[in-house]
Amino acid sequence: MRTIAESVMPQGTVPPPLPGFVVSSFSPLVAAAAEQCLVARHGKPPAEPRTAIVLVSGSGDAGMAEHVAHLVDGGLRLGPLLFFQAVPNSVAGHVAARWGLRGPVVCLCPTGDPEAEGLAQARLLVDDGDADEVLVVLVEQTGAGDSAHALLVTEGDSP
Amino acid sequence: MTEPPLRAGITGLAAVSALGRGAQAQLAGAPAFGPVRRFDVSARKVTTAATLADAGTLADELSGVITDACVGLSPLERAKTPLVLGVHGHPEAGRSKSMTTAGFATDLAARTGLAGVAKVYTCACVSGSTAVADAAASIRAGRSGRVVVAAGYLVEPDQFALFDAGRALAKDGAARPFSVGRSGLLLGDAVSAVVLEPVGTREVLAEVAGWGRAGDAHHVVRPDPNGHGMARAVGDALRRAGIGPDELGYVNANASGADGDSAEAAALRGALDGHRIPVSSTKSVHGHGLEGSGLLELVVTVLAVHAGKLPVNAGHLGADPDCDLDLILDAPRPAASPYALTVNAAFGGANTALLVRSVS
Repeated sequence: MRTIAESVMPQGTVPPPLPGFVVSSFSPLVAAAAEQCLVARHGKPPAEPRTAIVLVSGSGDAGMAEHVAHLVDGGLRLGPLLFFQAVPNSVAGHVAARWGLRGPVVCLCPTGDPEAEGLAQARLLVDDGDADEVLVVLVEQTGAGDSAHALLVTEGDSP
Repeated sequence: MTEPPLRAGITGLAAVSALGRGAQAQLAGAPAFGPVRRFDVSARKVTTAATLADAGTLADELSGVITDACVGLSPLERAKTPLVLGVHGHPEAGRSKSMTTAGFATDLAARTGLAGVAKVYTCACVSGSTAVADAAASIRAGRSGRVVVAAGYLVEPDQFALFDAGRALAKDGAARPFSVGRSGLLLGDAVSAVVLEPVGTREVLAEVAGWGRAGDAHHVVRPDPNGHGMARAVGDALRRAGIGPDELGYVNANASGADGDSAEAAALRGALDGHRIPVSSTKSVHGHGLEGSGLLELVVTVLAVHAGKLPVNAGHLGADPDCDLDLILDAPRPAASPYALTVNAAFGGANTALLVRSVS
């Protein structure tokens, strides 16, 4: 696959708040990385509509999972906003709606190299004809700090 | 001369839901909803779900369905077959940092004698269906041989609390897809596995003849009310299968009893070009199995068409004019075509359609 735009949010990046997403930095980080990558390519919305989103994360939204488990185990009240960010698809939907991305939405947990798995998924979707471009967002929440890397890729080889 | 494309066949399947264990139990037509006894729901507004009384852990149940689906494969054949998994994540991920989803999948593959993990899908309610679409595409392209696709969700306290907080659960104890007066979905256990491989290798139960995956680009969680994304997924599935909508005999819909059912009705009316194909949502009997839903509904669809008996859309109180479809109400209908479609949608505007051809 050929990378046509890229953005990197290094470990420890604190993303700007994302309206509607609370508690965890996972979704804001995905949105910020995606935004920077798509701006680099397209300037402003919309993007190429036949663009898929592939979100790759080993940790998943660990902050959200821990928060919900804490509330449930403690018998505490859960706010309704938590429901809407219960899965990684939600922020992918935010990015897709903002940029008009009408390709498939796929979220993966890598068992090997996250970038390789994300790019392999991108290739599958392009080769199968469901997308011309793929926004691959790699995001991790770890104790050492959050990080994200977004790549917009298309058919072809990188120089 | 160009070789014809390979075809992807389902050669084994197994499922567990509140309807029971084993493939045939999934064809029971009565709703399996009841009071949740698996964990404390006293603080919840809704206390109903479809749960299997003697369900084990998610790992145990996934291991069981994988083993059952792989009957007929030798240990050596299994050791050459990778696992593709669809789950929310490690069931204990929120309570222990050492419990990783990748580790869960790797342990599952080892426990079931499979050749490691090919991929883990965490894309909510289209996890299992996206996995099947991708696996079928890889087989058709000659890039993959036999794979086991498994997906699962067992009703548990965290997602139940989230759905309750989001007022997404039906207050009247029944899931009523496409019905007037529907008030929401109900969660349900859904654990299943299928063996997919190129047609011609072993006896095939059904062919995955077509598939589609498309996004709405509409909203974080709400479906496009016009159903454009889902309609494109259905259209792509028909195109890949090389059939027209008039050849379809059944649609197992995504509808859960939520407001968004009308978006799916719009999508089906558009994609099926006015053809009134028999439709039901089997979530009306086994509940919404989240990450496990797409694969369970594929299994139910294959079994139903194979049995020649299309399942009912239970819980229906009356027609909603925004959901004008040929719903299967009151009693199962005979299957008039080997082709059936199963449709799924998820948060983020993700849509999938899987088109199967039953092989007698």
